[in-house]
Parts: sequence; structure tokens; C-alpha cells
Amino acid sequence: MTSHANPAGRPPPIVDDAMILFSHINKWYGDYQALTDVNAEVKKGEVVVVCGPSGSGKSTLIRTVNRLEEIKSGQLLFDGHDVHAPMSSLALNKLRSRIGFVFQSFNLFPHLSVLENVMLSPMRVLGVRRSDAKAKATQLLERVGLANKAGAYPAQLSGGQQQRVAIARALAMEPPAMLFDEPTSALDPEMVGEVLSVMRSLANEGMTMMCVTHEMNFAREVADRVWFMDAGEILEKADPKAFFNRPEHPRAQRFLSDLRAH
Amino acid sequence: MFSVFEILRDNWLLLLIGQYPSGPLGGIVATLILSVLGIVLAFPLSVLLALARLSPWRLLRWPATALVYVVRGVPLLIVILWVYFLVPILIGRDVSGFTTMLCTLVIYEGAFLSEVVRAGIQALPKGQTEAARALGNSHLGTMWSVILPQALYNMLPSMLSQFISTIKETTLGYVINVQELTFAANQINNQLLTKPFQVFFILAMIYYVVCFSLTQLAHWFERRIARKRLGTATAQLPVDGESLPPPMTTSP
Amino acid sequence: MKDFDLMAILLNPKFGAMLLHGVEMTLKIAAASWLLAMALAIILLVVRLTSNRIAESVVAAYISYHRNVPTLVQLMFWYFGIFSLLPNLLQNWLSEHNAEAILSIVALGLCQAAYFSEDMRSGLRSISSGQAEAAHALGHSYISSMRHILLPQAIRNAIPALVNHSVSLFKNSSLAMAIGVAELTYAVMEVQNQSFRAFEAYSVATVLYLGFSLLIMTAGGWLARHYRIVGAR
Repeated sequence: MTSHANPAGRPPPIVDDAMILFSHINKWYGDYQALTDVNAEVKKGEVVVVCGPSGSGKSTLIRTVNRLEEIKSGQLLFDGHDVHAPMSSLALNKLRSRIGFVFQSFNLFPHLSVLENVMLSPMRVLGVRRSDAKAKATQLLERVGLANKAGAYPAQLSGGQQQRVAIARALAMEPPAMLFDEPTSALDPEMVGEVLSVMRSLANEGMTMMCVTHEMNFAREVADRVWFMDAGEILEKADPKAFFNRPEHPRAQRFLSDLRAH
Repeated sequence: MFSVFEILRDNWLLLLIGQYPSGPLGGIVATLILSVLGIVLAFPLSVLLALARLSPWRLLRWPATALVYVVRGVPLLIVILWVYFLVPILIGRDVSGFTTMLCTLVIYEGAFLSEVVRAGIQALPKGQTEAARALGNSHLGTMWSVILPQALYNMLPSMLSQFISTIKETTLGYVINVQELTFAANQINNQLLTKPFQVFFILAMIYYVVCFSLTQLAHWFERRIARKRLGTATAQLPVDGESLPPPMTTSP
Repeated sequence: MKDFDLMAILLNPKFGAMLLHGVEMTLKIAAASWLLAMALAIILLVVRLTSNRIAESVVAAYISYHRNVPTLVQLMFWYFGIFSLLPNLLQNWLSEHNAEAILSIVALGLCQAAYFSEDMRSGLRSISSGQAEAAHALGHSYISSMRHILLPQAIRNAIPALVNHSVSLFKNSSLAMAIGVAELTYAVMEVQNQSFRAFEAYSVATVLYLGFSLLIMTAGGWLARHYRIVGAR
């Protein structure tokens, strides 16, 4: 179980319109420090892109939000709830059902059709009636452009199509925020665009989003803020235009110049 | 339960070597001799059968496939009955239970092992065969110098598993009065009459110790082969959809 | 073979009846032990999943025993060994109700449960870890993720191995003849003893056993195809 060490004397963080609040988050295994004193917040309606070199802890950080990873100290609030407080598994499941998560490897359920994939969790976790779940699922599949694939099975779909279904599956739970863990890294280049355009339209509708991604154009055009991470720390938080034109931190500068060198 | 030690103390010789020298060799020694001979003689047969099943010539492939299907589809007891009946006719004179059992094991294990060998051959990357043929080797030459050596090494843990199965199969010799370990235990039970639980407990434990140790050896082998072949695919038994189901390494 | 006369066996009322009863007994024993084995395997799997160290060692010991001791010896242990330890009342009741068959079913069922449970466990382990993560991320409870996401996949993965071991179970029913159960192999040996037509008798047994084995494998293949994961390799 995690402890929440709130350093003595520090004023409590302002939680007014913060959807996700990271407060002195630390995570270590033995000698290895995975996350070092992370303090950040994602406001309601904000789109935050987290970037940085591999091994910087970006995926670890985003996975702490729905507790797929544990933290050693600090406090993480999602929509006002303390995610890492000791709680029953019932409470944790309920909390997780409100956090939309899209995986790098899609993780669609192969034994269910596309429609069933999207319908399953609203029915079994939220108790939605089958007819309502089906209607919502159909609507979401239309939204991501895959209404005609409702009866198909995941293995019959391309990577880009599977990821779009995964986004629909997460949206079916009507979460107040969506987390994306390198959603396009496992895709062939020609399919990246279709997924990014779904994410872009979500952002335009005002969805709160936190994305770990290497897609710098997406960050530049859609993000409200960019966080640069390296070695478990957030080294820079900036407005995208400012970040991409003139990053402040030397490691951020090196990272961007490495990217451009491609 | 203390009588277990008494029974062991009084009858260990019978369990070990049967009624030898006043009778044929029996007990666990007979079991092990039967198993070793069985698997050693079955091995060349299994390689031939596997090659026949993979052969491009129908005249070889079909009878081999039929034989393997039949032997794998009937209980071991039925194979024993057939061998018991046919061998004296083919040879022209009576044969001992031991010989019958040995022939049965050779045929039965030959069929099962051939599946293991076939899986091992098919698990090798196709590039091996392609490279060998591209260099001008014939089908058989490729098999002999390139495919079989690799396949057989990879299949050593599975073959050890089959050996363990063979040991378990020898128990059916009891049904045709072969003087192996199970027969010896039944002799002891028929003498004592009052301690069947202890006698059969001893019997079960002897087999357990032998088979368990060999299983551990097979695991050690598997790990060693995996280490040596880091990077190359270890031979996995392929899941055959349409043809024979994956070879069974368990048996009665 | 000179004077091979199959009909002498099949049409002869006495021999035909013996064979028919043998088939009936074989099928009964095989079916009953299969049901017992499946039920027990599921229980073993559930116990294993509790991640309790003691429970795991008990299950591991159970599986180790039943895989390393020959099935015939297990049968003998039950029929000669454990039977003698049972209270007299139970012994008498069993003796009146075909003790040999009941104990065969128990022995065979317990033995195959070990194999079935290992097959199911392999089926579960072959599922990628991302599946459980996705289930948790969507808020499924342990039971819900097992029931709707993990177990359906595990069973599909385990079908080929389960079918294989079901055929083994069927063939193992012949071992019951060693403790006097009048199943098919026993019947065939009796017919041969009385009619001296070994070739015909053994052929009938071979065809019947082979036929049933192929039937089980075909049914299994149908099951695997029907429940396959569409589109997977």
C-alpha cells in the first residue's frame, strides 16, 4: 500500500478545476528511481502531451493515474479522488471505470466482435441495459469511422482500425478524461493519421486528455501544454509553440534536435 | 503404517530383481531393462516412421500415417493382445511375456516417438532445408546431415518424457504375467493379504521417485538446450489443425 | 487368414451380447470419469488461482503424484489399497454396487483431472498480459474479468490439449479390466477365449476403439473450430 507523504507546512494544492493532479509523486524499485518528485496538473478540458526519450518514465507516469502502476510517495488526485489511497477493489474498479485508457498494443478482446468489445464493459461494469449499450456502441463506432466493422473480429482489422475501436471502447464508459499511452507507436506509418484524427476531434470537443506520444506534429497542433520528461522528472512544462521553437531545458533542446535529425 | 518399513525390509530383493535366480529377472530392474530396451529399439523405428510420414512418396506416406493413427487410437492393452497373438505366428514358436511386452513397447513407442520426431523436424526453420537443397543436397541427404541432427538434439527433453511414459507403460506387463515391478508387488500382496494399502503405497512411491527424478532431469535438459540455443526458436510442438493432433507424451 | 469369419463373432448371440455389454461399460466408465475429471480440474484451477502458497503446493503435489505414478498402479492402489481402509459399511455397499467400476471411475477421474487442470492452466497462461490490464483499466472486477474476458480465451486455447487428453482418458478405460471390470477389452479377451477367433475378436476391438477415438478427435476439432478466435492464426 502506498503512503501519502504530504510534506509538513506545504499549503494544499488548488484542486478547483484540476482533473488530474500529481503531487510530489515518487516511485522507485530498489536503487532505481522511476519517477522523481513529479508535480503537475491537467486541467479540465486541457490536452497535455508528455514527450521525452525512451526510458524517461512517461509511460510509468501515465499508468499511475489509473493505478496500473503503484507509487511510493506523493498524492495523485483524479477528479478529486485520491487514486492511491487504500481502498477496496470495488472502489478501485469504480474509479477506474471513470478513467479512459488507450494502450499502445490496443488490447482488444479477441474472442468478442468489435461491437461486443465496445458494449461489454458498460453492460458488465456500469450495469447499462443491453439495448442501450448496443445503441451507444453503434454510435461510437460511427464516430470513429468503423460502423461497417461492427460484426468483425479484432484479428480481421488493421492496427489503425483496432486502435480506433479501442478508443471507442474507452469512450463507451463516458469518462471525464482520456489517457493515451503511446497510441500510435505500434502502428505502421500510414495508419497513424486515422488514429490521430480521432484524437484530434475528441480534443476539439473539449475532452480532457493526457497523451504520451512521439507525434510532435500532433503535439504542436492539438496540445494545450507539453511536458518534457527525462529520467523520471518533468523538466519542462510549456506552451507547445514555445516548446518547439525555443525549448529552455538543455536536455529538451537535445531531444528535439535528435528528433529533427531524422 | 510402520509395517511399510517391515514390508520393504522383508521384500526388497523381490521388488528389486524379482525371483532371480530361481526365476526370470523381475522387479524394478526388469522394469528398467524393459523400458530402456523398448525406447532404444523404438527410436530407429520412430525416425523411419517420421521420415516416411514426411516423405514426398505416397506409397511410403500413407501406410506410415495409417500405422501411427491406429497405434495411437487404440489402448496399449489392445496392442499387447495383438502382439501376443501375432508374434508367435510370425516367428513360428512361442515367445515369453517379456519378449511380447518388448515388441509391444517398440511398436507403441515407435508410433508416439515418430510424432515427436516429426514435430521436431517440422519445427526447424524452413531456411535450413532450403539452404541445404540450394547447395545441391538430395532430400535424404539433407535429412541425414542437416535436419535430423538438429531436430533430434532439440527433441531430447521430449524423448526423455517418452522414456518416462515407457516406464509407466511397462506396468501393463502385469496383465500378461511379465515379471516386472507391478507383478512383484502383487506377488507380495498375495502372500501378505492383510496389508494391501502398505504394499501398493510402496509400489506407487517407487514409481513416483523414479519418474519424478527423470522428469526433473528432463526439465534440466530443457533449460540447458534453451540456453545453448538462445536466439534460435526452441522446438515447439506445432498445433496441427487438420492432421494429427499434437503428439501425446502421456500414456496409460 | 484362412477361415476369417467376422460374423461368427458378431452374429453369435452370446458373443455379440458380450461385446455390446463391453462397449456399454467402456462408454459408461469413460463418460463418468471424464465428468469427474473436468469438475475436479476446474476446482483445482480455482484453488490455484487463489495464489495461496499452501493451496498451490497441495495442488502441485496432487498433479505431480498423478502424472508420475502409472495409471494402472493408481487403479490398483484404489481398488486393493484404499478400499481395504474404508469402513465396513462402505465396503459392503460398494461391493454390492459394482465396486470395481466405481473405483475405476474414481481412479481414472482423479488421474485425468491432473492433466486437464494443467491444460486449463496453460490455456490461461497463454493469454497476453495486456488483456488483464485492459480489463482492469475498464473497471472490471476480478470475477468479471475472469468470466467475460480471460476464461473464455483460456478455454479456447486449451481445447486441443483437452481433446487430446480426453482421448487418453477413453483409452485408459481399458485398464479397468485389470481389476475385473467387464469393459470392452475384457469382453474381447473373453470372446477370444471362448471362440478361439483371436483375429476377429481383436479386429472388432481395434475398429471400435479407433472409431471412438476418431469420433472424439473429430468432435474436438469441431468444437475448436466453432469456438475459435476468428481471424487468429
